[in-house]
Amino acid sequence: MTGSQSSLRGANRALVVETVKRYGGLTQVELTAATGLSPATVSSIVKELLAAGVVDTRGTIRSGRRAQLVTIARSTGLAAGVDVGPRHLRVALADVTREIVAEQSLPLPAEHRADTTLDRATLLVVDLLERVGATLDDLVGLGVGLPAPVEPGTGLVTVRGVLRGWDETPVVHVLAKRLAKPVLVDNEANLGALAESRFGAARGYQDVVYVSVGAGTGAGIVLSGHLHRGFGGTAGEIGHVQVDPQGRICRCGSRGCLDTVVGYPALVEPLVVSHGTLTLRDVVQRAADGDPGCRQVVADAGAVIGGVVAGMAMVVNPQCVVVGGELAATGEVLVQPMREAIARRVPLNQIVALDVVPGELGVRASVLGALAMVLEATDQAAATGSADMADPSDVAGGDAG
Amino acid sequence: MSSTVAATRVPVLAIRQVSKRFGPVEALVDVDLVVHPHEVVALVGDNGAGKSTLAKVVSGVMAPDSGVIELDGEPVAIASPSDAHQAGIATVFQDYALCENLDVTANLFLGRELRERSLMRDGEMERVARGILRVLTSRIPSVRTPIAHLTAGQRQTVAIARTLIGSPRLVILDEPTAALSVAHTAEVLNHIERLRELGLGVVLISHNLNDVRAVSDRIEVLRHGRNNGSFDTRNVSQEELLAAITGATQVPEPRPSDVGR
Repeated sequence: MTGSQSSLRGANRALVVETVKRYGGLTQVELTAATGLSPATVSSIVKELLAAGVVDTRGTIRSGRRAQLVTIARSTGLAAGVDVGPRHLRVALADVTREIVAEQSLPLPAEHRADTTLDRATLLVVDLLERVGATLDDLVGLGVGLPAPVEPGTGLVTVRGVLRGWDETPVVHVLAKRLAKPVLVDNEANLGALAESRFGAARGYQDVVYVSVGAGTGAGIVLSGHLHRGFGGTAGEIGHVQVDPQGRICRCGSRGCLDTVVGYPALVEPLVVSHGTLTLRDVVQRAADGDPGCRQVVADAGAVIGGVVAGMAMVVNPQCVVVGGELAATGEVLVQPMREAIARRVPLNQIVALDVVPGELGVRASVLGALAMVLEATDQAAATGSADMADPSDVAGGDAG
Repeated sequence: MSSTVAATRVPVLAIRQVSKRFGPVEALVDVDLVVHPHEVVALVGDNGAGKSTLAKVVSGVMAPDSGVIELDGEPVAIASPSDAHQAGIATVFQDYALCENLDVTANLFLGRELRERSLMRDGEMERVARGILRVLTSRIPSVRTPIAHLTAGQRQTVAIARTLIGSPRLVILDEPTAALSVAHTAEVLNHIERLRELGLGVVLISHNLNDVRAVSDRIEVLRHGRNNGSFDTRNVSQEELLAAITGATQVPEPRPSDVGR
């Protein structure tokens, strides 16, 4: 009897924490409505969580009355992560314990421009801070992922033309000027690699290749636990490896790049006659639902990408290849042909076979990586400054930043 | 989900040669508009281009002077908003038309409450309301909150959620992101993507070309009450759209045999 009561209480406590996380900040009245628990239960659970340091409360005004806003407790400041994709913007806030406290995604137009998108990213960060009852003063730094190779110091795209509308934009300076906070910028696939190797499918592996498959394809490389960006930041830009010498001209200027064969237009074009005009989201959703035509397109893309990743695996010799990005939501439809293509070309290692696995963080990998990048950088700064920050053991990855 | 061939799809809404005038003002002149299921069609244009008039014609608020409206290929007469609702057309107007003093559930079911004999089925309505807000992955904590206590973004969410009561085929959104913060705009755009994924036809009326280009499949430009270009969103640039909206590019007059002036 008491056992089942205490487990019920535990479940209610988990429900309250989960609900607070989902909404960012809620008053106790709203919490009662959102969880369906009684006001007395909510009140006593909030008290308990407050004493345990899980949540924080502060005064606020709701409908003209004083109320207690309940938020997830955070220790010393928040980091913001921004993932700029070809067709979306994803912003998340996390505290130093890597706990996500607020998150929002925004669909973007094709070929969106740097000025508009960075403006919206800034406003979203401010909106999210407000949602959790925080201000810009609580922000310790901002991490940004771009779908192009970037120079870490300035945030400039290093290869002209691959991200139209962003050439000549020093993302670090633009954002640092507006927010007056440290800003770190990296490639989206590099950040995905960082996140999957810190808290995703590649936890515990030292040498990892992360492949992000979406509107374009990119890869991030982790060597001995450190992100390898390369001299010009272009390491892992496999979207521009040539796979078809007679193919189309790519926006980078070269011919038959992987992106021209398995990029957004190439993925939806073969389906026009049979399926009508589809978006990439439609293709992913239908492939996951079992539509044969969409599965075929995704599987064929997997085989081509697998061939390129095989070459990469020969050079890098990773312990595992993690597959992420928008198309990875189709699961084995994409991963199985990649695995086969890699297995066919990479010499079998008698001791440990190369794992090819789907990512665990899904489309959030890059934004989580952006948060990890900021938090690791602040940990490092704190570790070298005063020694009061815990966890200096997992400092890595910020070497070039 | 059946995969239908594009060419043979029957549009959920087809407007052909619709005209509407207010005295000397030509609000709509021979306007065409086609919306398929699982498609977001954006309607853009300057102030007074006729966007909202067209929305009102389709949603039964105004009768057109001439022209044909077809739903699923059948010509229909939409004489009143309740006709439109019967036909599965749901509209969110710029002012949301919500009741401040009523809670979220009451607003969702306003005028079409679920009843058993004469009693309202409150529990059932709350259950449906919660379900719809979940489908939209909305961030409204309680369906019992009065509208007066919600933010502008949450009100827009309620207005969009209301369109999902009953079984709509077509949702018309008139300037859903005007005057919203970026975070709220983000939520509304995600809602629009959800409506599309549910297989509905969506007409999105907006001034914001960023929002329009982010979520639409096709963009129809209206200028002085006339069609002035139809664009596939994937292939159109901001510059081409601006040119069509401002009249820098014009669609040539189509039918020389046309009567009327």
